[in-house]
Amino acid sequence: MTKPENRAGWLIPCAVVGILALGLPERSRSADDPRDWLNKMNQALATRNYDGTFFHLTEGRVETMRIVHRVRAGQVAERLQSLDGSGREFVRNNDNLTCYLPDQHTVLVEPRQDHGPFLGSLPRFGADADEFYRIESLPATQILGRAARVIAVNPKDQFRFGYRLWLDEKTAMPLKTQLCDSRGQVIEQILFARLEMPESIPDSDLAPAVHTEGMRWVRQGPAQDVAHDNALAALEAFRASQLPPGFRLTVSGAQTLGEATVPASHLVYSDGLATVSVFVEAGTGSSPQPPMHGLAKVGSGYAFSTVIQGHQVTAVGEVPAQTVEFIAHSVRSESPSGGALPPR
Amino acid sequence: MSEQIREQVSAFLDGELPSSETELLLKRLTRDAELRESFGRYALIGEACRGAPHEHLTRGLNLRINRAIDGDAKPAGGSAYRARSRRWWHPMAGAAAAAGVAAVAVVALQHRAVSPSLRPGAAMVAQNIAAQNKEPVSYTTPTPAAGEAPAALPAARLTNYVFAHSKYSSVLGQSNVLSGLLTAADEDPTPAAPETHRAP
Repeated sequence: MTKPENRAGWLIPCAVVGILALGLPERSRSADDPRDWLNKMNQALATRNYDGTFFHLTEGRVETMRIVHRVRAGQVAERLQSLDGSGREFVRNNDNLTCYLPDQHTVLVEPRQDHGPFLGSLPRFGADADEFYRIESLPATQILGRAARVIAVNPKDQFRFGYRLWLDEKTAMPLKTQLCDSRGQVIEQILFARLEMPESIPDSDLAPAVHTEGMRWVRQGPAQDVAHDNALAALEAFRASQLPPGFRLTVSGAQTLGEATVPASHLVYSDGLATVSVFVEAGTGSSPQPPMHGLAKVGSGYAFSTVIQGHQVTAVGEVPAQTVEFIAHSVRSESPSGGALPPR
Repeated sequence: MSEQIREQVSAFLDGELPSSETELLLKRLTRDAELRESFGRYALIGEACRGAPHEHLTRGLNLRINRAIDGDAKPAGGSAYRARSRRWWHPMAGAAAAAGVAAVAVVALQHRAVSPSLRPGAAMVAQNIAAQNKEPVSYTTPTPAAGEAPAALPAARLTNYVFAHSKYSSVLGQSNVLSGLLTAADEDPTPAAPETHRAP
């Protein structure tokens, strides 16, 4: 699979936003420029150890989660754990991202491809991000008993979400984040109840609490089986024929999904902050999986699946529903054969 | 929920709860599902009452509600967090004010509802950036149409897609999709209903 430019660790809500600061002219920035604060936050999240418990609030529901992030000798390890809900956990290290799903008796493993410096793997924002987001400082406040800067990243249209970030004055760590729609309405919040930044974090704090005895391990990731080259060639002809403003293709390649025997084509479209994945799977007639059509909510993002030219097309992203739906509906094969699978 | 816990929740959501009490609240919330539910509701209502900086649609209403229910805009000295927290919590006790707060909450909820689907051919000008590598000079955002309720996709397949997507999503996005996956077990316990499958 083509190596993406935008890779990074998980919760660091915000880190990516700091990159916004890099794409803007120096002369336009003052000492209190919100972009400088985003950059400080980015540095803090990428280079500090932290161990926090936070509330994840969405649609009136709340889950308590714990995030542990360790940087030691350039190696990053992270663990995200639900404390009161599903019992699910994510553990990321230099080799893999592992998702423990005790409710499904399954462990999903996705190999990591980037082994470079953590900060270096963060997505880069160009100055054109200003065309789709407006960054501003809001009045300072107190949170968790600390003075906090408040920065807003506002989307300029309905195709993407925005963020509001409460950053600790001393460390620039985000103490609270809100995901907002284009009207500024809060869709999701992350509020830290406890945030520590210890000098060191033991391995035990990064080990999953889930007991994996009897669980099914599924390794998915970039496809490398040449036996499927013909099928993949047909799938790789699919592209989104129309995109919301600012989105462009950043990654394309093959991806095995779960226990599927035939890989899917995986396209990634991004405006630099928001990202949408499009999966094109082999013709529904040849797949053991039933065809799907519909919209599903995933956290604050959405997934939309439909059948196009006999192939299952699914768009997933941390964007409004209309964005995944629009992109999925526009997917077409650029091949003269219309994406037909070669005879077996 | 006791008045004390209500005050703690309110103060926490205002960022004014001392850390020692925050720890206690955290423990309670981790153990008590009902309290978490209430916490979520209060967070929603509190957000609506406080009025986010860009909530154009509710700004006037928030102001009116705050004026109507909160004659004293300045918190008294001493118990600062309690005084301030009552600014949005206390009105809940009054029927008239509660109705106003509920209205704000409904507004907030409505705007959180699933966006209308965008049909092929809907009014929009968007160019294929990949092909043309040039931003459109102008465009219109999607026109709201008849809404389509989200249909559950099979949970296991959905998990696979989201998991594969997460490594390419932006850092901000990862926090959303991965947190979503952690909570998905409660929301998405079964494969999609038969009506969500249809032949091509």
